[in-house]
Amino acid sequence: MSASKSIPPTTVTITSTPEGVRVEPVGDLTIATLAAVRSAVERELPAKLGPSITLDLAKSGEVDASGVGLAVFLYRTAKSRGASFVCVGVTADRRVLVDLALRGQDPQIHGAPTGLVREVGIASLAIYELAVDLVRFSGELVLVAVQLVFKPRGLRVRDTLNAMARHGTDAVPVVSLLGLLIGAIIAFQTFDPLSKYGAKLQVADVVAISIVRELGPLITAIILAGRSGSAFAAEIGTMKVTQELDALRTFGIDPVRFLVMPRMIAAVLVTPLLSVWASMLGVAGGYAVLGAHGFTVAQYMSEVKVALTVGGFVQGLIKAAIFALLVSAIGCLAGLRTGQGPGAVGVSTTRAVVAGIVAIILADSVLGAFFYTIGI
Amino acid sequence: MNTAAPTPSNTAAVAPASKIAVALRGVSIGYNGVPVVEDIDLEIFAGEILFIGGGSGCGKTTLLSSLNTLRPPISGSIKIDGIEIVGADQETLQSVRRRFGMMYQLGALFGGMTLLDNVRLPLEEFTDLDRASMDEVARAKLGLVGLGEHALKQPSEISGGMQKRAAIARALALDPQIIFLDEPSAGLDPVTSADLDALIVALNHMLGTTFVIISHELASIFAIGHRFAMLDGARKRLVALGPPAELRDHSPDEWVRRFLSRVPSSET
Repeated sequence: MSASKSIPPTTVTITSTPEGVRVEPVGDLTIATLAAVRSAVERELPAKLGPSITLDLAKSGEVDASGVGLAVFLYRTAKSRGASFVCVGVTADRRVLVDLALRGQDPQIHGAPTGLVREVGIASLAIYELAVDLVRFSGELVLVAVQLVFKPRGLRVRDTLNAMARHGTDAVPVVSLLGLLIGAIIAFQTFDPLSKYGAKLQVADVVAISIVRELGPLITAIILAGRSGSAFAAEIGTMKVTQELDALRTFGIDPVRFLVMPRMIAAVLVTPLLSVWASMLGVAGGYAVLGAHGFTVAQYMSEVKVALTVGGFVQGLIKAAIFALLVSAIGCLAGLRTGQGPGAVGVSTTRAVVAGIVAIILADSVLGAFFYTIGI
Repeated sequence: MNTAAPTPSNTAAVAPASKIAVALRGVSIGYNGVPVVEDIDLEIFAGEILFIGGGSGCGKTTLLSSLNTLRPPISGSIKIDGIEIVGADQETLQSVRRRFGMMYQLGALFGGMTLLDNVRLPLEEFTDLDRASMDEVARAKLGLVGLGEHALKQPSEISGGMQKRAAIARALALDPQIIFLDEPSAGLDPVTSADLDALIVALNHMLGTTFVIISHELASIFAIGHRFAMLDGARKRLVALGPPAELRDHSPDEWVRRFLSRVPSSET
């Protein structure tokens, strides 16, 4: 059987004999012609190859480092179908090119599971590893916290103060802006509905309660996740990629004490303060709407005082502290779990922010139900 | 096997063969229980400069991770300064970690800290020295590696070669008797690499420090190595141990001779 295929400017002849299949390109075999030649060969190769595939390059013109891909294709086809492969009609230089290209090209045949089974397995292992890491990390945090109580000298005070400045003081402008705007937005949204019932001044109650108990801590924590959780993951992740974490460990210095604790302590101390500040500005933002409708500051503040309770204020503080604990722990853990390579830090940073915000919302739900149950 | 004799041409100090700094017995290393190299028996003498090399992926860095206590071997025994580290508790490991220094391939200096802060850190953590004394000790270590005038610079403000010297200064902070170095010449030009070799020899002479160096930089191996230990990933074992030039010329193992003579694998 003989089949000839015209592919300008290169043609390929495929001959089938009892000894096997012979493939003979005529013309250049380069990056410009390879795709056409390869698809013609793939189409014309007989189903039964016989014992071997022979690639005859005697009539081929230029063969470049891409054109030799035809040899790789035929080699892999032959091996996967139980045939042998031989390349003939080549000069010594071209022989070296073909031999080098064929190195390590045997098709991988193994019994590893593929498809859904493999994906489920990988996902299960990842979840298992994450669970183990979470438990181990929580244990380490508790252990190191207890050690620091008995040996406070172990805390990096300077690093903690630096972290408080970076993640607290530096966050004041954005927290202020958001607090102010959220307060004003709540007042805008509730003014008309409450006006219908003649309860315009009760807008102050709504603003005060929702901001102090809920939204102040929430927006502060979300800003913390975006600014600080990501920064913790990136800082620690970069240290892992550049082997600085290994260097710490070989010094016998625990990265949890050295890196994680200062960041977590700073976050837990500054977030409640930021939350109080955000709440104050939120309440002020609410007045912007009522003030425009003729209410005085004294009227507004007197209503706010009625609405606010010590319990509500404490609830906001506790929430802010717990959110900070979660966001900073998740950010640091994401950093410690950073893999290898240039993209790993980016992955950790994204993970820290997404997991941090999800954790905040979950914790808020649980805490909301808890405080409601105990009547605060 | 004895180490090289001190001659003007060989600037490295003689390692007293009597004292063993690091001893490996039947050590197998690898990942997830799958060995990369098995059954390594190796004694590293106090005061010697030992290179550990082999082809890419042969387990050199994994072995170093076991020697520096970060990754336990799959099996076997590793003693540093006579103390068993395989299966040891944290207290023992902490004590052993203060007996060696480590220089990583990328230097791994702590960014955001000056060189002085970097070298002072181990002193802050593990000594009761007052701050002024710590500064003096740290400055002395930086002076030893020729970075005295750069003490207040950040790692990002100095060259790659200087970063590696600073990393050696940090490794020297607690005056360890053993220093592990991972690919010290990687990414350095030949002159800077030779400068680093000279520094290692000088510290070996002056302080009697044992250097265990992971590298396949042949120029450094022949210039300053007392002995060369070669791992082979294909055979999963330690295939050679001895003075580098002797192995290159007379090793019964063809792969060892080719490796040390830089003969391409396609050449027969």
